[in-house]
Amino acid sequence: MKSFLIRPALALALAASLAACGGSDKAEFTVSGSVTKLVYENLVLTNNGVQINIAPPAKAGDPVPYAFAEKLEYGDTYNVTVARQPAHQTCVPVPPPGGYYVNNADTAGRLVLIDINFDCTIDTHLIGGTITGLTASGLVLANGSTGGTYAATAPTAGTTTPIVYALAPVAYGTTYGVTVSAQPTGQVCTVVNPTGTMQDADVSNINVTCVAA
Amino acid sequence: MKSSYLRASAALACAALLSACGGDDGQLLLGGQISGVTKPGMILTNNGGSDYEIPVPANGTGVTTFYFPNLISSDDKYNVQVKSVPSNIVPDSCQLVNNSGRAGFNVTTIQIACEYQTQALTGTISGLKNELVLINGSDRQTIPAGATTFAMARVAQDAPYGISILANPAGQSCTIANGIGTMGAADVNNVVVTCAP
Repeated sequence: MKSFLIRPALALALAASLAACGGSDKAEFTVSGSVTKLVYENLVLTNNGVQINIAPPAKAGDPVPYAFAEKLEYGDTYNVTVARQPAHQTCVPVPPPGGYYVNNADTAGRLVLIDINFDCTIDTHLIGGTITGLTASGLVLANGSTGGTYAATAPTAGTTTPIVYALAPVAYGTTYGVTVSAQPTGQVCTVVNPTGTMQDADVSNINVTCVAA
Repeated sequence: MKSSYLRASAALACAALLSACGGDDGQLLLGGQISGVTKPGMILTNNGGSDYEIPVPANGTGVTTFYFPNLISSDDKYNVQVKSVPSNIVPDSCQLVNNSGRAGFNVTTIQIACEYQTQALTGTISGLKNELVLINGSDRQTIPAGATTFAMARVAQDAPYGISILANPAGQSCTIANGIGTMGAADVNNVVVTCAP
């Protein structure tokens, strides 16, 4: 019986103390942060169904600060995610400076400041194709000086299936130029479609044909 | 009696397991990412010992993830340093980030970036009447009409180079001689681009 009385009393006391907290001066939290390495348009971040569009910085390389207009109250949850990736880039939440853990989803009030950072990288795509007619070892393909190399192994005698190869991925907007860095013993290989500027998909038509020297 | 045999063999098995792991009884990885490994000779140390030579990655980019074969234990202090670098790396040029601390969990965030010794890659052009775009992989150089020489970005020693034409000049077609090779310890200045008509 006693507990019946105690419970409402407690609830009243709680309500009173909350009101004493200031009522209208309730702590509010802004969901904000910054986006680094954003280069291209059309990044959209979302929190609890509200979306904001993030434009690239006026000065290339600057971080882009953002803040959601809707303020959160103590105990409200937030979950900031990428609703749409920018063109040619992929952005992911990253730990705040000095932190170890990604903090894009939490409850307001656990931290003094809600500071959610996103980091963007330029999308990369593979370049490659097929190698036909290779009968000897020694073929090395290269994409310039920093794009990596591909050393082909001679297929077992009698195999005529083309070898499918790929070089290291190339970032959107970057040029590539595949050359025969070393010819196979006793053969000469030529490359078709060797050069280009990376777009938004893998390139798989850089085909190599080898014939007897 | 049986149990003592069992114990002894268990201890042996245990010892065998441990030595297979490299002699340490830790269970945490120690590693990260390193750039500048296109040939053998990149040796890292942890706390002045545990010498580990980074295997050269097969794709020729010189960038690889690495983990010391010796595992470390929780709460171990670690301090990773570069003991020696391959001959194509500028001595004392390696920048290390997150390379020391105390292990709480697998350590995977060490970043080591080493600078290659580089050489110039240049040549001559004849007959160029309009703009020409030359590339060496991701390096793109726009050569203006009338130019008689050109320079590509410097190339790391031991790296391959392959100069290609990305865009021929309007109304012309160009060919390249001596545009493919592997950079040695001296500048390359004999690339010849000939444009016609």
